[in-house]
Amino acid sequence: MKKAPFLGGYAILYLLFLYGPIIILPLFAFNDGRIVAFPLNGFTTRWFTEMFADAQLKKALLNSLTIALSSATLATVLGVFAARATVRYRWPGKPAALGLIMVPLVLPEMIVAMALLVVLLSIGIPLSIFTIILGHVLICMPFAVAILTSAFQSLDRSLEEASLDLGETQWSTFRLIVLPLVMPGILSSFLITFTISIDEFIISNFLGSGQPILSVYIFGQFRFPAKVPSMLALGTLLVLFSICMLAIAEYFRRRGIAKTGGKDTGGFL
Amino acid sequence: MTITEKTMIEFRDVHKYYGDYHALRGINGTIRAGEFFSLLGPSGCGKTTLLRTIAGFEDISSGVIMIDGKDMADVAPNARPTNMVFQSYAIFPHMSVAENVGFGLRRDPRSKADKARAVEEALDMVGLRGFGARAAHALSGGQRQRVALARALILKPKVLLLDEPLSALDKKMREHMQVELIKLQRQVGITFILVTHDQEEALVMSDRVAVMFEGEIAQLADPETLYRRPNSKQVADFIGTMNFIPVTVLSEAGDTVEIEAKGLGRVSLDASLAPPVRGESPVVGMRPETLTLLYDDQKAAERETEGVIDEVIYFGDMTYYDVYLGGTDVEVRLSMRNVPGRPVLEVGTKVRVAWSPSALVLFR
Ligand SMILES: Nc1ncnc2c1ncn2[C@@H]1O[C@H](COP(=O)(O)OP(=O)(O)OP(=O)(O)O)[C@@H](O)[C@H]1O
Ligand SMILES: [Mg+2]
Repeated sequence: MKKAPFLGGYAILYLLFLYGPIIILPLFAFNDGRIVAFPLNGFTTRWFTEMFADAQLKKALLNSLTIALSSATLATVLGVFAARATVRYRWPGKPAALGLIMVPLVLPEMIVAMALLVVLLSIGIPLSIFTIILGHVLICMPFAVAILTSAFQSLDRSLEEASLDLGETQWSTFRLIVLPLVMPGILSSFLITFTISIDEFIISNFLGSGQPILSVYIFGQFRFPAKVPSMLALGTLLVLFSICMLAIAEYFRRRGIAKTGGKDTGGFL
Repeated sequence: MTITEKTMIEFRDVHKYYGDYHALRGINGTIRAGEFFSLLGPSGCGKTTLLRTIAGFEDISSGVIMIDGKDMADVAPNARPTNMVFQSYAIFPHMSVAENVGFGLRRDPRSKADKARAVEEALDMVGLRGFGARAAHALSGGQRQRVALARALILKPKVLLLDEPLSALDKKMREHMQVELIKLQRQVGITFILVTHDQEEALVMSDRVAVMFEGEIAQLADPETLYRRPNSKQVADFIGTMNFIPVTVLSEAGDTVEIEAKGLGRVSLDASLAPPVRGESPVVGMRPETLTLLYDDQKAAERETEGVIDEVIYFGDMTYYDVYLGGTDVEVRLSMRNVPGRPVLEVGTKVRVAWSPSALVLFR
């Protein structure tokens, strides 16, 4: 393994390039100066105070959380149905239906957003948070279905049959056997779709009707140099939040694996 | 043992299609209450399919399956008086051993304490006393199998279905579990139906065996009949080793058939013991252990034929010899116990082979 020191150096550079900018975030969030440039001026928490005082930001955050939670829940629940139907049952038109679910994955989001906008306007549905959720479910579904299909596929069919054989009904079998065993998949799906939704920009911008949405709001604020430091403060909090989410997800995933005695294959996250 | 003449399961012309594929082609027969019954056949012959139609996991395309006198046509798996031990054991990985074993009691109105006692008893029965709190996924193959057994037996089914329950175990463990299963079956008196592709396992364990080929039952009989009097060349070949020697039928009068067997000479056989005529070119079959090599000064009890050893296969307790009979190109395999004072012979040795006409099976 000592043959290519060059590769190690390359990997370090690569990681620095990827994550370096993220380290800049907290650095300038605590820097006492409006201008984002070295040298640093000293420590302050005033950007955080400023950020917390921003009523519009609070509203945007609330809207985005509502959207992300709703989209993630909807996409995951629908994904469970779709995955179950694909893995367990045979029905006419299955490949076509699956193909259609997966299409948003390869379609430029701009086109999805424009098409949705045109359709919604022409059938007279007013733009709102609800229409954004609709759009987000659409683009989240491929991820949810892909993750959940693999979770359902790894489930041994005879486990369900054993439960039926031992007197349980289809429904109680689903609740007692299937659901607990695909729970790590459901959790993964929820987290991924939540993440996709919360930083999604194009659909939120197109279908938002002027409602403040976090991603759109942040983008807007960057036009005003005075607002940049408080956005960096917000970014710092978001990074912290992501790390917490990842840690929680990883904890549950590992616990799930330990409990069912599976092999740890690295997991999705 | 409590085998009665009472019928537990009856198949009447059962057919099963998977799309165009005809997986079960007219299954008929009965399984008696309290017997240890095996479904034996090569891979893909439909054993699992037949077992799953009993459990209710597969619908049949036509025909009738009766369990304990009731037509099972519209009875769901969870309402049938059968329980299954799956090939993969299907232990619920997110539950403890006790939760697995007690799973079938969820709908039981008994008190928690009573159920816990039932679980303990079931674990005791399969030799896993005190394992209740263990995580199910942390068990060895043999232990999982016992958990699966306990879990299926705790509901006291009328029929226990076992799909190749021993195939995942190593040889030692398998032989051990064979004996355990037989003991267990005698103890609980429940009808066991075992699917296996291992003929030895079927012979060792069963009261009766159904040999299946390509979706049909070729022969349904007790192990001894199956071994000594297979009803077709195919069954004879599948169960153990059998030598086939081409013959010409010389004459037939009443129950006696005169044949000329290549290398053995003229023999008269009891036709009433022979399987039904199938229009194949006639052969006689003989098992390796019905042939004996004679010592120099020994005389055969019935018939003897000269031969030359062509191949020696040494097994420790036994030696297999392939012998050319009577100066012909007919080669038979025979097995001899390696008792003290009997040296293992060498290739090329001239020998005399003793045999008995009553051990011959005529297929034609
Ligand atoms: N769900 C199914 N759909 C289509 N064909 C099937 C299905 N299940 C089984 N078959 C076919 O039916 C035939 C019998 O299968 P079965 O599983 O009963 O065989 P088996 O005797 O148990 O073999 P093995 O010893 O390999 O387990 C096989 O050819 C198999 O390919
Ligand atoms: Mg099988």
